[in-house]
Amino acid sequence: MGHGARVWEAEGTVHIDVRGLDPPQPLLAIIELIEEPETGGPVIVHHDRDPIMLYPELAERGWDHEHLAAPSGEVRLRLSRATA
Amino acid sequence: MTLAATFLGGARSRLLPASIPFSFFAAAVVFHVAGWAALVAAAPDVAGFVGGLGAPLSSLHLITLGVLVMTATGAALQLLPVATRQSLPALWPPRLIFWLMVPGVALMSHGMAAAAPTPLVIGGTAIVLALAVFVVVFADNLRRAKSLPVVTGYGWAAAVSLIVAAVLGMVLILDSDRGFLGDRLALAHAHVVVAAYGFMGMLALGFSHVLMPMFALSPAPSPRLSWSGFCAAVLALLLATGGLVFGFENLVLIASAVALAAVVLHLLTMSQVLATRMRKRLGLSFFLIRVAWALLPLSLLLGAANVLDSAGPRGPALFGFVLIFGWLLTFLLGVLQRILPFLASMHGSRRGGKAPLVSELTAEIPLKVHAACHLGALVLVTAGIAIDSVTLVLAGALLGLCGALAFALFALLLFMRLRGGTRNAVREAGS
Repeated sequence: MGHGARVWEAEGTVHIDVRGLDPPQPLLAIIELIEEPETGGPVIVHHDRDPIMLYPELAERGWDHEHLAAPSGEVRLRLSRATA
Repeated sequence: MTLAATFLGGARSRLLPASIPFSFFAAAVVFHVAGWAALVAAAPDVAGFVGGLGAPLSSLHLITLGVLVMTATGAALQLLPVATRQSLPALWPPRLIFWLMVPGVALMSHGMAAAAPTPLVIGGTAIVLALAVFVVVFADNLRRAKSLPVVTGYGWAAAVSLIVAAVLGMVLILDSDRGFLGDRLALAHAHVVVAAYGFMGMLALGFSHVLMPMFALSPAPSPRLSWSGFCAAVLALLLATGGLVFGFENLVLIASAVALAAVVLHLLTMSQVLATRMRKRLGLSFFLIRVAWALLPLSLLLGAANVLDSAGPRGPALFGFVLIFGWLLTFLLGVLQRILPFLASMHGSRRGGKAPLVSELTAEIPLKVHAACHLGALVLVTAGIAIDSVTLVLAGALLGLCGALAFALFALLLFMRLRGGTRNAVREAGS
């Protein structure tokens, strides 16, 4: 995975950890991951900030986001393909 | 509230309420129309303009303060806290800046056009106060920035330039009534360089390190190249300002050469960004940005030609037009047409429900009309100044006015689509 992000799979869900990366690396890593043809299901993002600049890019690609509970200092998102 | 929710709340608070940045952008759109309309009125005097009160100076400041500084202020207040991860401590300073800037610019430009000292001084004072508040807010954010050191460096250079430009501007305003300056022209030239290349130029180059990778979806450029460009730009600015204030022409020429090197380094940085981009179609905004990039070195060459007295009697007007309307305004309009729908979508997603799509918020036809009119206006006014033709300057200014109205229509449609989308989202959420 490029842009310094860590990607792994746990219980059938793809996770991406972009904490500690300077902009725009987190944005690129997440977009690159969801644009991979094999990434069909939900993706859990581990971030150190609310990635507000990501949301327009997700919407444009037909993906939704949802905030999940996370430990202090982390913002955790669940990305999934938007339902029609 | 959980710790996580508290943190998230803090992160989200870095995005200001939509009304703040959009007020600045809306004012800039209106002043953009006013700036071109003032150029229509100033057409007979544009080619021979070398400074001094009158309609050309009024048009110039409607664009510099009304459009460029207004947009830069709104964008800096919105984007810097997001980029540096440091929220603004309060919301009243941005609102105070806005309410000082808008009447200030209107009054001062009227005072310039009518050569009326009272509105000139009152408007100028309001603008200086607004910029003083902005510098405090901006510098406080830069001081607390934990990331993006190149952007922060450019930010500091812009902040210092803004203070110098505002002080010089106020001295020039007071002198226009009382005439106490020995060499007014030297100070006026220093004001132009520090305001245009210093404040606006440094902000444009600095924010390009965040905005261009974001627009093109590219990795950040090489830090070595970025820092080299930054150092050259700062050195050029110091040399040019010193040379102009103390009357050393050779220093100004050396500054022009160093500034050209800084531009080459910046354009190499940007070409690196574009070469590694994920987004293949960059659209009309990047067409304008590329035109602006070409006009930046041209403005420097024209400036150097003026110092060498080889640009002819219309050299100063040509330099001012290429610098302000060519490089800075074209660049800003390219960025603004990309950033307005993007910010609107960001704010739309903040309200809950689905984020409105950037593509749905963007009205393409007004933007195409604007680009055609703007570029046509640049060509016609430049040619009109070069051959001293009032007809060409007038035709160009009228075309620029049509372009500004088309851009205003784009902004209006975006606002209406955002409101419509928000209403639908609220309805969906409620159903």
